[in-house]
Amino acid sequence: MRPIFRYLCIFLLIFYNSSIAKEFLIVQSTTSTANTGLLEYLGDLFFEDTGIEIRAVAVGTGQAIKNSMRGDGDVLLVHDKIKELKFVKDGFGVKRHDLMYNDFIFVGPKTDPENIKKSKTVLEVIDKLSKGKTRFISRDDNSGTHSKELKLWKLSKARLSSDFYIKSGAGMASTINMAAEMQAYTITDRGSWISHNNKGNLALLYENDNLLFNPYGIIAINPKKFPNTKYNNAKKFIEWILSKKIQNLIELFKVNGEQIFFTYKVNK
Amino acid sequence: MIYEAISISLYVSILSTILGLLISIPMGIFLGVKNFYFKKIILSILTALTSIPPVCAGLIVYLMVSRTGPFGWMGILYTPTAMIIAQTLIIFPIMTTLIARNISDDFPVFSDELYLYGARLRDIAYLLIKNRISIYLTISLIGFGRAISEYGAAAIVGGSIDHVTRNVTSTIALETSKGNLLIAINLGIILMTISFIISYLINLKK
Repeated sequence: MRPIFRYLCIFLLIFYNSSIAKEFLIVQSTTSTANTGLLEYLGDLFFEDTGIEIRAVAVGTGQAIKNSMRGDGDVLLVHDKIKELKFVKDGFGVKRHDLMYNDFIFVGPKTDPENIKKSKTVLEVIDKLSKGKTRFISRDDNSGTHSKELKLWKLSKARLSSDFYIKSGAGMASTINMAAEMQAYTITDRGSWISHNNKGNLALLYENDNLLFNPYGIIAINPKKFPNTKYNNAKKFIEWILSKKIQNLIELFKVNGEQIFFTYKVNK
Repeated sequence: MIYEAISISLYVSILSTILGLLISIPMGIFLGVKNFYFKKIILSILTALTSIPPVCAGLIVYLMVSRTGPFGWMGILYTPTAMIIAQTLIIFPIMTTLIARNISDDFPVFSDELYLYGARLRDIAYLLIKNRISIYLTISLIGFGRAISEYGAAAIVGGSIDHVTRNVTSTIALETSKGNLLIAINLGIILMTISFIISYLINLKK
């Protein structure tokens, strides 16, 4: 009897945290919303308002969508509109809501060896990079930033030779670190850039093109497909985050003194 | 933040070491004492598994406990429980092989005599382990060391969620990528200090 009791105690201890855990919601999200601290900030507020804990998994957009397709999440908050709409259309999500936006920027060495700073359009930037001899680092992880970059390459029809096209396969922050170390160019969302603390010799070199628009969407995972998801709480969270009060707070959210995310309702 | 990461790391790794011992001691005794047809194959598989990359163990557990996986109904993905299971999977082969080797060295020397005194297998195993308790402490430490220092499995099945599954190694990875090298270095030093203190305590007991 005694050894069985001992085993039972240990199993209880191990499963303790999942059985008596607080109410929580798993948000599959991107590094750009988690690493800037926005999700933590909103999560604390949501917990105060409703008593539901937000557990954010920060991965690339592609991986977040894949994880959600397996049902491993309750809410999806990512930035790749085409993939999001497909996700909803395929029945994995309930409805896509516009949440907020910012934009992508090109960063590179301060000396700007390819002179992209004076480009008129983003396609000119891509053209200059493809003809130049400076390395360009790609995320190569199906993230929102990576699919935006691929779209730009496709639009410009330019090709970078593999000697200068480096695939990091890492998150945004790690990729900025790599670019700083290798004195290379890369494309990043503005939030990750502002909140990055190890910019080294890099500078923001190109911004403000309509093609660089970066919209974030929020989707509740479809409970018809995955009955174990916490749909009611997910709905509550989405209604909460789209409310005027929280949209205002997102607008006021600052990192290193700069606003990172912009909302639709407040601007209109 | 730092203390939270340390307590999560310690909680997960200590429990996975205990769970690893609970699996590997009976298995090690069985493999060390009995002779049967597939013994060599099983031992070879276990020895090969000692070098299982943490990410592979993490992937296996992820596929098991994901909501579409066979154990999805338990809802333990992205909890410390899933991390404990993954870390146990990483450390139990190395602990089992070491225990089996130790038992199979000792067992033939003492078994005949002890059987003469009327001892049962359970008593012999108890005596063998008690006799060499310092080796078992070292084996536990090896398991614990591998568990607390791994990153891949914890990152895959834990998801590096703040306050819940963000242990020391995933904090180091995250802070390094964000460029906060000071926090990362401090955590690295703390992790090394914990290992040092535990190994010192175990060496004292010898």
